[in-house]
Order: sequence, then structure tokens, then C-alpha cells
Amino acid sequence: MSTSTQKMITPAGNTLAPKSSFGVAQIMLFLSIAILVIVVAVPVLLIFFNAFWVNGEFNLRDVVKIILEPETYKALINSLIIASGTTLGSTIVGTFFAWLVTRTDLPYKTFMKSMFLVPFMLPSFIGALAWKMLLSPHSGFINKFFINHFGFTGPLFDIYSYWGIILVEVMYLFPFVFIQVCGALERMDPTLEESARISGAGLFTITRKITIPLVLPSILSGALLIMLYSMAHFGTVAVLGIENGIFNIPTLIYQRIHQSGGSFDSIRTGTVLATVLVVSAALIIWLQRKILSKGNYQIIGGKSFRPMELKLRTLRIPLFIFCLVYIGFTIVLPTVVIFLVGGLKTYGLPFTWENLSLKNYKFILFDYKVTKDAIWNSITLGLGAALITMFAGGMISYVIVKMKVRGKGILEFLGMLPFSVPGSVIALGVILAWGGKYGINLYNTIWIILVAYIARYMAFSLKANSAALEQVHDSLVEAARSCGASMWQTLKDIVLPLVRPGMLAAFFLIFLPSLRELTVSIMLYAPTTRTIGVAIYTLNEDGETVVSAALAGIALILIIVGDTLINRFTKKAGA
Amino acid sequence: MIKKSALLLATVMFFSILLAGCGGSDKAASPAPAAGGKKLIIYTSMKESLISGIVEGFKKKHPGIEVDYQSAGAGKLMAKIAAERQSGKILADIIWTSEVPDFYSMRKEGILEQYKTPLINELVNPFTDYDGHFTAARLGTLGIAINTDKIKTPPAQWSDLLKPEYKGAFAIADPALSGTAYMSVALLEKQFGWEFFEKLRANGARIGKGSGQVIDDTASGELAASLAVDYITNDKIAKGAHMALYYPPELLLAPSPVAIFKGSPNLDAAKKFVDYLLSKEAQTLIAAEGTLSVRNDVKTPEKFKMPEPADALKRSIKIDYVQMMASKEATIKKFTEIMQGKK
Repeated sequence: MSTSTQKMITPAGNTLAPKSSFGVAQIMLFLSIAILVIVVAVPVLLIFFNAFWVNGEFNLRDVVKIILEPETYKALINSLIIASGTTLGSTIVGTFFAWLVTRTDLPYKTFMKSMFLVPFMLPSFIGALAWKMLLSPHSGFINKFFINHFGFTGPLFDIYSYWGIILVEVMYLFPFVFIQVCGALERMDPTLEESARISGAGLFTITRKITIPLVLPSILSGALLIMLYSMAHFGTVAVLGIENGIFNIPTLIYQRIHQSGGSFDSIRTGTVLATVLVVSAALIIWLQRKILSKGNYQIIGGKSFRPMELKLRTLRIPLFIFCLVYIGFTIVLPTVVIFLVGGLKTYGLPFTWENLSLKNYKFILFDYKVTKDAIWNSITLGLGAALITMFAGGMISYVIVKMKVRGKGILEFLGMLPFSVPGSVIALGVILAWGGKYGINLYNTIWIILVAYIARYMAFSLKANSAALEQVHDSLVEAARSCGASMWQTLKDIVLPLVRPGMLAAFFLIFLPSLRELTVSIMLYAPTTRTIGVAIYTLNEDGETVVSAALAGIALILIIVGDTLINRFTKKAGA
Repeated sequence: MIKKSALLLATVMFFSILLAGCGGSDKAASPAPAAGGKKLIIYTSMKESLISGIVEGFKKKHPGIEVDYQSAGAGKLMAKIAAERQSGKILADIIWTSEVPDFYSMRKEGILEQYKTPLINELVNPFTDYDGHFTAARLGTLGIAINTDKIKTPPAQWSDLLKPEYKGAFAIADPALSGTAYMSVALLEKQFGWEFFEKLRANGARIGKGSGQVIDDTASGELAASLAVDYITNDKIAKGAHMALYYPPELLLAPSPVAIFKGSPNLDAAKKFVDYLLSKEAQTLIAAEGTLSVRNDVKTPEKFKMPEPADALKRSIKIDYVQMMASKEATIKKFTEIMQGKK
């Protein structure tokens, strides 16, 4: 530690005041590394360790054996099938709608654009629940309608299938591609296309030679994001797949941990599966970076242009209707079904006035201990995780973006980790790290979920905070320092006020998703530490469909109200 | 619970201030101290409406005793107990679930307190090897639940399930997930042999998910019939579901034992609770849920059309629980193979 006191000349050539800067900078670096190591690195390392080391020695053969077991092998293949299908579907849907709302004269484009982003807010496992009610083969409302009114002998569509799972995932994941491609298309310099047109190229040639190559990096990066998400996705497969023997990696990990009954016997299979998940996630992220760095981003300038719009002519109204129908089917219909079923006396009754009431909603909000606890837990956990992660992430980003201290490289690497570790892996790692083997036993307490949330959402905080910090020019800090302010004073008076929006954004980016979190908490919950997501999932599993739907409805209200409030709030703060 | 979460919130606040002050330690690790050792804590898999009513009644009778309960699936509770044992202390005083095999293994591991209730002679006791380590506090039954829109003639025999009406539309909950489902599979196998399941499979029967979910699937019409737990089905019927529950002559009985953990700091209170649970008052509450009490002087309400406790015990398929526990894995494997095998 003492060696760095000698070097006081920064690359910028400014002389830093000795002593005081050394202390604060080193402490911050040390703390940042400590937080990331303890919260993220140790759990992940423990997974690798448990996967490859058996009884103190390295054992690769066992790992291969576990992977080749029919069940695990099948789960791997399923993950691949579902992720590929979802990626392909979402990319097509996302790109098509992005093109429609940015480059055509579709009516009410701004409204459409905001509607297409709504699935971002909706938890996909609640969507899966709704689709189960709509499309389960014999009792799904849509299937029943077709069987009763059109003389169908069998179901129109069976949601308990690969196609069903992929369809539901596409519905809720396509915004990842949509938002990326929208951004690229909006920022693309239209003069390129215009000059091609002046030179006599037709629309087809322009699209093929200019437009597609320009937006391809955005499409691919969005697609990879979806691939990453879908590989590690628990909710949809858990709701629609498990019953019919369709497992993917996260659901198999969950099942193994669930059946292990708290013992560490089945955890090994879990660690091997988790390792596979981490490796594929790392591969995907590496690919994404490669594509993004190769992309011709210089041509997609930062300025916003007004791109030429394609006249849809006769297709204008049909496509408009198509968009409305799509929104109606994927957003409105499932939401309505959730609320309606939540109002039913018991599942299976028709939606008539005498069968519908607000009794279930009253029950879960005021009388039912399980759901009352769950709502309270989710809110406190969300607040706790968001606050801690906001500050910790702010500090870590500050060290990464702004500080010039030795050993920053380690921090940069550690800072990358949270981005690539899927939720079920974090949960498993946290069980290994805090399950009492190393002195501290948090298993079955609410603290273990808090630690896992911090690890899971650190990435969001790092992203939001570094984005805000990068906009604070070094000269501001240097000016303050040359006027004689101490490091601490500079932080407090210059940096903190400037990064406050970033930190606020981080807070909400964490608080809202944690309200609907399922993947992590389903592996870590105990009887009194259910979260909203866990309560919805277990109630559904227990056959309490109507209560589960009512709670899902409450969750949707919480999320939508929260989101609207935050949008309004952040807009005000930004202005 | 609220108390604990408030503590969490306070810690979080404190922690954030620390971090904001650029000091800060590593993480929130200090485990929350248990809130007072005096409270009687019950772990149970009984559903909310039942356990809360019983706890309220107990509090009224013994106003000096503080009671709290945690209800969750039996598997989840056993996992929590296993974890608590690892850290040295079981936080619960009483356990009451429907997983008979769990009680046999806990007795074997010596973690249950022996308490021979003075009420034992008034009770219907399904355990021939009763020694006071656990006492049946409810007699769960499983029958055939049918969706009355789909099946018109009520089933009278188990073999009715092989009729074409049930083709492709009957399910048994996954015995790997549900203890009662495992028990019923073991009982049916003992009575009718594996060929019964082979015939069921030939008629398109399948494995469902949880024991509650097959019932909701029956209510919704996804299934025409399922092997169903009494009180879950009766609750849905009471709420208007188009279902009915029937019992073939060979009855599936799944007792729910209650036990006190060894080393409970509230032993007296725990014994009082067990006695209250077995009293006429609490048993009447249990019967009102549409399941069987363990007392012959408590009748299950007429509307449920259920057998008398003593009669049910007589009709029930008998099984050696110890042996059943030992062969659990093999039985589930064989069952899954048959039910998922070739059509």
C-alpha cells in the first residue's frame, strides 16, 4: 500500500495532494474490490470449485458424467432449443415492429412505440400463467371457445409445449431487440440512403446494401441479449414446461435444490449445470462485445435525424390493425384474464357477475398471512437491495471511471462479472457461500435473499452509475482540487450532485424488478421469507389458481403504478 | 415477521448511511436474533384457514401463551428444519404435517419428544406402533374427484377409472412433489399391484403436478377426474366448483401426525397445544374443513358426505409405514416409468 504514495503525478500531469488522496482512494478501491469479491466473486468461484473438486481433488470425469446423464443432457438441449427459438422469433418480431414505428408512416407511432415497450414491465411468469389459463389444451378459455363454438375436436393450440414456451417468451422478450433496433434506425444518417437513391438504387437494393448492414450490429446485439436471458430464464419454463417434462437448465437446478430438502447432496449437479450456464453466458457476452466493437457505429451518429418514411399506402390501415391486434392479444388479453380469474370464486367457473367479486383481493391484502408477508418482504427487500446497491455501485463506478489508482484492473474485471452471471447461478452460489459451511449461516433467513439481490442487481447499478459518471468531466474535479478542496470535499460538493440522477436511476432500476423477482427467491425462500413472485408461483403450484391470479393482479398494479410514478419523477428531476 | 423485516429495513438504512459516508463494512451479515424464546412456534402444512382458527381458539383458552405458526409445504418445512439442525437449534416447538414417513424418520433420529397424551383413548389411532412420539391429529382421505360436467356416473370402484369416460383425462399428482400422492400410490400398489397402474396408463392416465393442482385442473375441466385430497376438493366444491368427491370401498387414508421437538423450551405450552388440538373443540374445526377428525364424537358436517372416522379406519388400506418409507425412491421410479412409458 505504501508504494503508491511516491507516485503523485497523474497521467494528466496534475499533481495530486499527497496523504489525503492516498487514504481515501486506496480505501475506496479496497472497499470496492471487497464488496465485489464477497458478493459476486466468491459465490461464483464456489460453484466452479464444487463442480470440479470432489473430496479435495480435481475431477473432470464426474463433470462429464453428470452432463451426459439423460436428464441433465436433455435440460441442456431444451435450453438451447428454447433459447434459439425465442431468439429467432423475438428478433423477427422486434425488428419488424421497430422498422414499422421508425421508418414508415404508420398512424399513432409514438403510442405504438410505448405500447411495444410495455412487455418490459410485465413479469414473464405472470404472462405464462395468463397464457396457461387461455391456452391449456382442454380448459384454456380460447381452446374451449373453439371447441364449443366451432366444433373443434381437439385444442387449437397446446401451450404446454416447446412452441408454447417459445411463443410466450417471444411475447415478453422481443422489446430487447425492438429498443436496440429502434435506436439504431432513428440515429442512422439518412443521407446515406438518399445518396443511394439519387444514384439510382431501388428500395430493395438500398435496404439490402445500406439499411441492413447498418442496423445489423444492433439487431445481433439485441438478439444475443435475448439468447442470454432466455437460456437463464426460469419462470415461463417452470409454469408451462415442468408438468410435461420440459426442463431447461434453471428449472432443473431448481428442482434438484428443491428436492434436496436442505441437504447439500444434490447441489453438485446444480453446480455443474450452473457452470455450463456461466460459460455459455460468457461466450454470448464475448460475442456481443465483438459484434458491437466491429459495428460501423461512426455512421450511426449521435445526432437525431429525421429519416425518410416509407409510405405504406394500402397496407397502412391493415398493418395498423395488425399492430393493435398484436398489442391486444399479447398485453391486454393476458392482463384482463389475470384480473378476471383473480376475481373468481373458484377456478373453472364461468365469468358471470355472481361468480366474480373482490373477495380474493381483499383476502390476500388483509387476511392471508402468506401473501401479506410476501408483499411486505418484497417491498423491504427491494428497498434494501436498491439502497445498498445504489451506493455500493456508485462508489465502485467512481473508482472504475474516475480514479487513477493501482489495481483498478482487478476491479474492472470484477465489475464485469455481475453482467454475466444468471440469477439461478447467483442463488446457488449464495447457498454455497452463506449456507453455514464457512461460518455464517444465512440459509432460510431473509438476509440470504438480500445478499443475492445485491449480487444480482449490482450490474444495473454499475451501468447507470458509470453512465452518469462518464458525463462528469475530469476538469471539474481537477478545478476543485486545484482550488484547494480535499478529495472528500470534491466528492461531496462536485461529484455527488452531478451523479445523483444516475444513482436515482440505479435505485429504481433495482427496486422495480426486485418487486417481481422469481428466479433467485424461489431457490432461497423459507416459510416466512416468501417474496411476491414466490407466493404467486407456489400458490399456482398448490392449485390455488384464483388466489395466485389475484396476487399477480396486485403485483401488476404495484409495478405499473411504480413505473408511472418513476417516469414522472425522473422526468421532473431531469428537467 | 413484521418485526424482523423492520429490523432488516433499519439495518439497511444504517448500512446505506455508512456507505454514503464512504466508510462501510462488507455486507449485512449479522443474523437477526430470534424474537424472544417464549413464543410457541408451530410448523405446519395445514392451510391458513384451518391453522389460524385453531391457533385463535388455543389463545382464547390459554391467554398467557404466545403462539405463532409458519405454514408451508411439508417439504419446505423439512428443509428448514434440516437447515436449523445444521446451525444447532430447531426454532419450532411443534410440527404438524401430513407426511407420515417424515415422522418415522424424525423419531428414528431422536429429535422428537415423547408425549403420551391423556386423550389417546378417546381417539381413533391409525398407528399400531403408537408410543407417544407423534399422534395423529387429523385423518386425511383421498378419493376420486370428478368434474361433474364431464363425468355423469359417479365412480364406485377404483376399476371404474379404467372406463372410456376417463380416457386421457385422469391424473395422479406427482409423488416426487407431493407426500400424499406418494402415500396413495404406495397404498394402491399394495392393494392392486403395479398392473393397476399399467391399466390406468393404458387408459391414458397421467402424472399431474402438485396435489392441489390436479384438483384445480379437474375443476377447470382440464382433467375429467383426479386422485384428490379431501379438504382441498371440498373447499372448492363449497365455493361452487363443478366437482364431486367419491370414495371407493378400499379407502386411502393419510393421517396427519403432530409432534413436539425434543429440547423445546416451551414444553408445557407445547403439550397443552397438542391436547387442545386433539380436543373436541379443535377437532370440530378440522371436521368443518371437509376432512376427518380423529374423534368419533366429532362428525364431519353432513354436506361433505364423508365416512365416520372409525369406519374410515376400518375400510382403509393398511400399510407398514417404515417399509413404505424405505422403498420410497424405488416406488416413485417404478410409478414414473409406468406412467410415462409407452402408450
